[in-house]
Amino acid sequence: MPGSMVAMTQPVQQSFNPYTENGGTILAIAGSDFSVIAGDTRQSEGYSIQTRYAPKVFRLTDKAVLAVNGFAADGNMFVKKVKQRLEWYRHAHAKDMPIRAIARLIQTMLYARRFFPYYVYNILGGIEEDGTGAVYSFDPVGSYERETCRAAGAAQSLVQPFLDNQIYFKNQTPAAGTQFPQHLPLTSVLPLVIDSFTSATERHIEVGDGLEIYVVVASGSTSLQGLQNLRGVQEVTGTTDGERVFVIRRELKKD
Amino acid sequence: MENSFALVGKGYLIVAADTTAARSIVKMKSDQDKIKALSPHLLMTYSGEPGDTLQFAEFVERNIRLYQIRNLYPLRPSAAASWIRRSLAESLRSRHPYSVNLLLGGYDIASDDPHLYWIDYLGTLSEVPFAAHGYGAYFALSLLDRYHDPNATLEEGLATLKRCIDEVSKRLVVSPDKYKVKVVDKDGIRDVEL
Amino acid sequence: MSIMSHNGGSVIAMVGKDCVAIASDLRLGNEAMGISSNFQRIFPVSDRIYLGLPGLATDVATLREKFRFRVNMYTIKEEREIKPETFAHLVSSTLYEHRFGPYFIEPVMAGISKTPTGGVKPFIAATDLIGCLNFAKDFVVAGTASDKLYGVAEGLWEPDLEPEDLFETISQTLLNAVDRDAFSGWGALVHVITKDKVITRTLKGRMD
Repeated sequence: MPGSMVAMTQPVQQSFNPYTENGGTILAIAGSDFSVIAGDTRQSEGYSIQTRYAPKVFRLTDKAVLAVNGFAADGNMFVKKVKQRLEWYRHAHAKDMPIRAIARLIQTMLYARRFFPYYVYNILGGIEEDGTGAVYSFDPVGSYERETCRAAGAAQSLVQPFLDNQIYFKNQTPAAGTQFPQHLPLTSVLPLVIDSFTSATERHIEVGDGLEIYVVVASGSTSLQGLQNLRGVQEVTGTTDGERVFVIRRELKKD
Repeated sequence: MENSFALVGKGYLIVAADTTAARSIVKMKSDQDKIKALSPHLLMTYSGEPGDTLQFAEFVERNIRLYQIRNLYPLRPSAAASWIRRSLAESLRSRHPYSVNLLLGGYDIASDDPHLYWIDYLGTLSEVPFAAHGYGAYFALSLLDRYHDPNATLEEGLATLKRCIDEVSKRLVVSPDKYKVKVVDKDGIRDVEL
Repeated sequence: MSIMSHNGGSVIAMVGKDCVAIASDLRLGNEAMGISSNFQRIFPVSDRIYLGLPGLATDVATLREKFRFRVNMYTIKEEREIKPETFAHLVSSTLYEHRFGPYFIEPVMAGISKTPTGGVKPFIAATDLIGCLNFAKDFVVAGTASDKLYGVAEGLWEPDLEPEDLFETISQTLLNAVDRDAFSGWGALVHVITKDKVITRTLKGRMD
């Protein structure tokens, strides 16, 4: 048959897709003197769960925490490289890199791979040199912006409009003679983070299993009160007399 | 390419459509009237697939006329819009759908006010204060958002329409050079030279 | 672009204490171009039942006409008003008639029915474009901003809201969801159906 002759002589092109999408969601909110960076711990591929505990949020320094979401292999490799660059910085300058410098570093590292990108969305949270809480969000090729809050990942579309409403008070009018606060206290932010993730878990199949909330607190912040005796809290600060970092671990639904 | 615009004002409605008849890249004609007077107070612009357009417009014209003959009074603009929409919606799921986009505008002599309807080939119907079809819509709708005034006089309404036509002529690569403009108000339909 | 998002638009319905609410945006678009900021896609079926029709705008009109006809026929033949539950099945079977060439609409309905004891029972439901029913106890969403609506509603909704609180909840949910959707927005309309009245309010929204 002429058709099969054509098939035999025709070259067969093989292709390899170097990327996958591993689900999950991350989120960060900046306070006046603290920053909260959270992520769920489910890692999935398609309809299969690869693991129920794969951290997406990493402590970089005592004043910076990085959340990475998207293609997990790229994410882990990227965090490893950022940590390496931060260690070199410590050896050279005998201090931790400031968060705004880390943000710019992440931009250059991501843009360096402009034509074979790390398939990840990064959110960097921590404390600025002036002691204010900061959140920086990135796209996969390094475009970034400092914001008050940001959600990314599989449930971004579910969480971000909720945050617009509850953090930025969008579509709300303040009572006569009052103003909405620029920053919320930690006691308001933590329940919002937990609610965001329980909501996302309820409606998105790729979100669930566990929740890790990192809280970076500026030295001398009043936010420390009530944080230490929270359920499931653990301090992960590296040095003394500076910013302090805590992790709060919670369970999320596993279905 | 084909463009049509329409806007309502205080007691009147202005409708404009380009006059080119094109076949591929060739202009076959530049004085074609693409606005049909369906009844003494009802106008309709039609654009889309050549052939379908005139066929469908004449089908509508004859049915509207038939209604008038049978009932001794014409169909009101809202009723005409609903009937035309339904014809297009039924056509859409037929073996050979008409691909015709319409702007239907009329002066309702019963309620004494003008009405304009944006209708596309899918049978989408929406009553609007101003409307446009074709690539010109991308320019005209922005201008109309800024300059349209439902209480404007006819002169002001025509000036707004001229802004749209001039902008399209200036910025659209495939812009037509001539437009036919018609106005309908309580006294009926008339042609207007811009 | 897909047919379902050709014209844009979203609808949400929520249950409260002896009341229900249904709300939608007012945008009609032609893909990215806005055509109208006053396109209603929620229609009254009876005094206590409202039907929202997000999806392809031509089918919004066609189905509205079809449901009006079928509900009128039901009312005449049965000599009584249709119950919300019955209407939901009417919607479902009407859509399933076109299983292999569907209307591109995902209806959302909200209503309240009177119980024999004299109380009222809130009712909401939604279907997909071929009529698969979803009876939810809390809220249902559909349209181009459905994922955003799910996220916000899941965060804001709580059981047994009084009519005014339900109005605030559904309004905030809708406005914040459509502000993150390019195909929905341009104003909104909310109906709160209670035992003895329907509260209808037009909301101002972002016009971008």
